[in-house]
Amino acid sequence: MHSSLMQPAAREDSVLVEEVLAGNQLSFQLLIERYQDRIFGLVRHYSKNAVEVEDIVQDTFVKAYRKLATFQHQSSFSTWLFRIAVNTALDHLKKKGRSPVHAVEDPELLTPRGGFQARGPHLLSPEARLERAEIARITHEVLDELPEIFRSVLVLREFEGMAYQDMADLLGISIGTIESRLFRARARFKEALVRLHPEFAID
Amino acid sequence: MKKDDERDDSSNPTRLCANARTLVPSYLDGELSEVQAAPLRSHLFACRDCREVAKDEKSLKRWFQAALAETSSLRAPAGFSARVARRAFAGDRGSDEPAVLSRPRAGASRSDLMPLLLALSAAAAVLLLAMALALEARSRPSGTGLRADTYQPPWVRERLRAEALTMHEDRPAEFEPPVRAATEER
Repeated sequence: MHSSLMQPAAREDSVLVEEVLAGNQLSFQLLIERYQDRIFGLVRHYSKNAVEVEDIVQDTFVKAYRKLATFQHQSSFSTWLFRIAVNTALDHLKKKGRSPVHAVEDPELLTPRGGFQARGPHLLSPEARLERAEIARITHEVLDELPEIFRSVLVLREFEGMAYQDMADLLGISIGTIESRLFRARARFKEALVRLHPEFAID
Repeated sequence: MKKDDERDDSSNPTRLCANARTLVPSYLDGELSEVQAAPLRSHLFACRDCREVAKDEKSLKRWFQAALAETSSLRAPAGFSARVARRAFAGDRGSDEPAVLSRPRAGASRSDLMPLLLALSAAAAVLLLAMALALEARSRPSGTGLRADTYQPPWVRERLRAEALTMHEDRPAEFEPPVRAATEER
């Protein structure tokens, strides 16, 4: 017997989506509340400007509303929403003239399933020497140096904790490509970090 | 000669290490099943070089973990969800295009505007018609009769006066005075 004091279970995303499509504005507000903090966190890795971050997040939800009828439920609603957020963030960067660098596939870096290569400099862990705010600043500084396809996989994996399958669904690529890109992205991040801050390299 | 079984990595340490190192990122990302992870853990325990590779990957991850802890405090501002939901339902298209009227399922403002637009168009048409009629009436002649006044240039009038003073002299036919016009002021 359910107690009258028990809070009702949160409605699933699919239920809220149907209610929004039926014209329920409050249901859309609930969907926004459910994901707004995560989308803010995600977009924060594409822009340091708080006003720009808020604009991008607003645009993300407005676009999601406009496209809601096209959501096919082939992926989760969160994956679909994150895809819109990433694309909206990248579009904003392009409009601001901060076009992300497009990576050319690097033949010198072998795929994870191929052989192995010299792994480059070793990296010092950050905690012992730096405050967290400084670590975040340096990390984003290095992320800004990376080609867009590498930044996106690192953000989704390291900051959003997404599984490879969800990342593949979001970006529309295979899991093998996700693994390959993460491999390259991490190598590039390390190279850029020690180039910008040689004090963190261990010989 | 027995052909090497490519799955027998124990006879090929280099290949064993190569395979292990390709699995380390996925292992640290929690993407390996226990069936895949168990032999890797055993190898990392036994192989110092591969252990160093895993340690390196973990150091890199700590950068992201520390940055994540710093940015995880970000929150949407108060009232954000209500404000954005209102905008979306009002037909806002975000930064892509100017705002347009919403689709019917999100509102009915377009149908409310139609009667007003029709009324304004009708009023504008009536006004234009009235202006056209007024302009036409103004350009019409004021009287009903038509009169063709005979106009004489000044040098003709001067000649006529001169002729009048010498009426008795013979004049060639071309100098026959025409019909006298209305008297001009001298």
